[in-house]
Amino acid sequence: MAGKVKWVTDIEKSVLINNFEKRGWVQVTENEDWNFYWMSVQTIRNVFSVETGYRLSDDQIVNHFPNHYELTRKDLMVKNIKRYRKELEKEGSPLAGKDESGKYLYLDFVPVTYMLPADYNLFVEEFRKSPSSTWIMKPCGKAQGKGIFLINKLSQIKKWSRDSKTSSFVSQSNKEAYVISLYINNPLLIGGRKFDLRLYVLVSTYRPLRCYMYKLGFCRFCTVKYTPSTSELDNMFVHLTNVAIQKHGEDYNHIHGGKWTVSNLRLYLESTRGKEVTSKLFDEIHWIIVQSLKAVAVNASPSLTSSTANDRILKYNLINDTLNIAVPNGEIPDCKWNKSPPKEVLGNYEILYDEELAQGDGADRELRSRQGQSLGPRAGRSRDSGRAVLTTWK
Amino acid sequence: MLQEESDLSLIIAQIVQKLKGSNLYSQLERQAWASLQRPEIKLESLKEDIKEFFKISGWEKKLQNAVYSELSVFPLPSHPAAPPEHLKEPLVYMRKAQGSWEKRILKSLNSMCTELSIPLARKRPVGEQKELLNKWNEMGTDEPDLSLFRPVYAPKDFLEVLINLRNPNYENGDSLSFRTHLGLIQVPLKVKDIPELKECFVELGLNIGQLGIDDSTQVPPELFENEHVRIGQKVLAEQDSAAAQQYIRQGSPTALRAELWALILNISSQPEDVLYYEQLKTNVIQHDLLVDSLIYKDVKLTASNDDYYFVFEDYLYQVLLCFSRDTSVLSHFAYNSASPPKSYIRGKLGLEEYAVFYPPNVAPLCFLYHEPSKLYQIFREMYVRFFFRLHSISSHPSGIVSLCLLFETLLQTYLPQLFYHLREIGAQPLRISFKWMVRAFSGYLATDQLLLLWDRILGYNSLEILAVLAAAVFAFRAVNLMEVTSLAAAEAVLADLSTLKKT
Repeated sequence: MAGKVKWVTDIEKSVLINNFEKRGWVQVTENEDWNFYWMSVQTIRNVFSVETGYRLSDDQIVNHFPNHYELTRKDLMVKNIKRYRKELEKEGSPLAGKDESGKYLYLDFVPVTYMLPADYNLFVEEFRKSPSSTWIMKPCGKAQGKGIFLINKLSQIKKWSRDSKTSSFVSQSNKEAYVISLYINNPLLIGGRKFDLRLYVLVSTYRPLRCYMYKLGFCRFCTVKYTPSTSELDNMFVHLTNVAIQKHGEDYNHIHGGKWTVSNLRLYLESTRGKEVTSKLFDEIHWIIVQSLKAVAVNASPSLTSSTANDRILKYNLINDTLNIAVPNGEIPDCKWNKSPPKEVLGNYEILYDEELAQGDGADRELRSRQGQSLGPRAGRSRDSGRAVLTTWK
Repeated sequence: MLQEESDLSLIIAQIVQKLKGSNLYSQLERQAWASLQRPEIKLESLKEDIKEFFKISGWEKKLQNAVYSELSVFPLPSHPAAPPEHLKEPLVYMRKAQGSWEKRILKSLNSMCTELSIPLARKRPVGEQKELLNKWNEMGTDEPDLSLFRPVYAPKDFLEVLINLRNPNYENGDSLSFRTHLGLIQVPLKVKDIPELKECFVELGLNIGQLGIDDSTQVPPELFENEHVRIGQKVLAEQDSAAAQQYIRQGSPTALRAELWALILNISSQPEDVLYYEQLKTNVIQHDLLVDSLIYKDVKLTASNDDYYFVFEDYLYQVLLCFSRDTSVLSHFAYNSASPPKSYIRGKLGLEEYAVFYPPNVAPLCFLYHEPSKLYQIFREMYVRFFFRLHSISSHPSGIVSLCLLFETLLQTYLPQLFYHLREIGAQPLRISFKWMVRAFSGYLATDQLLLLWDRILGYNSLEILAVLAAAVFAFRAVNLMEVTSLAAAEAVLADLSTLKKT
């Protein structure tokens, strides 16, 4: 292949630029002929908006699918999952099976959620059924925990009531879109603290679906002990784990940034809760990811800002492995390639799901292993290749 | 033969004596009485029937475990005419050294008290007690002013004391020979050499499966891992301490570890144990000790900055504060060369003596146990069986002095070039490895590796493996170390152990 890969980016971050430069790729501007463009979310929106009608040529790759916001905007994600479930139900797929109370057996991974102000009345009906419950309000288009708050009284969200006296055509459009979900107030705690998971998933193609999970994901802990007590509903240090929020807390530690690696989490859970439960947990996490991807398209930008030294190293390696998979052999992309990379270039990624492999064995195996005993990721491994594949089901 | 027999009966008598006062004894008594109701117990063959009953119901096993536990801990009987100090530590010069070390620590504590005008111990006013009780689970968020508190001593201070140990009855002679020990420790204690170590640690041989290597991704689990896990489960089902100890020499599967350790240490959470812990907690609430602030400062400096352990910061306070008031720990002083300092608070507050020690390694245990009283019990047992030896001067083969000597001897014998080179550039190897050994590698190895290491400590009932590991680390980094020209550079080469796979 002649020529070096030409890259452009509009995000000035060293973890990206160092990776490009170490491969000997050539930096160009966006008006020139480029092969690889690492775009910010804004740029993607502009580039792929209906008006510009921009089309990528065969030797160009970008880092986001055009419809990524279908999964990142909270309202769209909910809509997509609900739609996906209904579609499966209509097809009569066993994946959409329900139990006696009408709950989905395998697809029940989103708590009860409504769009506001659109579903306000539906929400009120649900709220009245269990008036002592807590709900969490999240703005649809924001990130980093901005604008999130908890409520346990209807009066706290009067603003979003469709019938509010102040509503008129003008102010309707001023009401920002929110989603409201049933708050899970008994989360798993470690050391008495709430935590969340930050996992990196790379989707290289949509059809067929090929996605990879980075092995070195991490957990982010709150600095303050968790309490479901209603007096602390306003205390965001208790409930929200985003680093952007936690780092303003008094106890935020700049050395480790309140994070654990996922393998640490696994060690802890296996030691204290046993292997089966832990394997089942991770299995289900992977399942949720794949199903969500199937429901829709892909994600927007993970933060490339590094908060600690360890963090920087992690993200550098993450981008490195990502580029190795997305642009194999460092050659100029060609969309006609068969894009299944060999195992050696995966680096710290593991195959989360490869539709082509899966289709080879028939789709109903997927359900059979879901219904059976959860075997954990190890069972899916083949003897000679080591633990390359995460999923037990296909 | 006669001597052995009388030794044995002495041991048996002592163990029986010890167990008679234990909870297990009263439980067995109760069980025996209750069993009289059972149809299979007949008056004519009462003794045999009860014995049989114990066997079937698993009580015999519990008794076996308790005896085994005592045997592991019990020091060997010495000459009947030996005074009790002899039991603590047979060598006079060691006892003396430990004594002066303790005096130094106490003096340091006392002067800190005077400087800061803080009593060694005081009773808390009621308001303060309530406050502490409320934040018992969140002591980590407290920010008292600890800037004036200095740690009582640092590992290197302790090392200096050890380096200066001399046996007054031993004359080395002026001539240097190939036998001359080039290391820092200059006492003639017997340590094992490699052939002896190989014999002792036979299960760590290359031809025997190990967890930590043979369960890695490239090896199919059928070869070793699955079978090993199955055996582990069987051992747990049988509740056999001795078998567990043997088993764990090859490493413990993560899911079984918490139970295996509890079995080996013979810890079962009885309601009395939970009560005991609660009592200690009450003690903490009611009285404030100077030592508490030192503990607090140490935890803040170490665990809360650690990648793995920061989550458990609050547990550490709870365990350590209770530990510093636990008088049952004092019973271990019978075989520890250290003595609890005479209490200044006894009589004043009715509190018994307390011990001063370098806050030992609780954090890794938080990965296994999250129920506070169980965590506490395990930690206490680990301390009184093993870790205390890292903080006191003695001639015991697992004592820190012997470990240092073992480390240096191994290095000098098998990597003489490296040893000599480091010595020449002013980087005596022990100065670097001491801090690893004195903390049993806690804070220096990744948690899963650390737990595998501690598996072996339990399995072999000895800390010698720490010295062997330390020497192995040097061997592993030998090539890089040969090129350094200063202590600082050597430290840098060895700074990050977290990527080492211990086995």
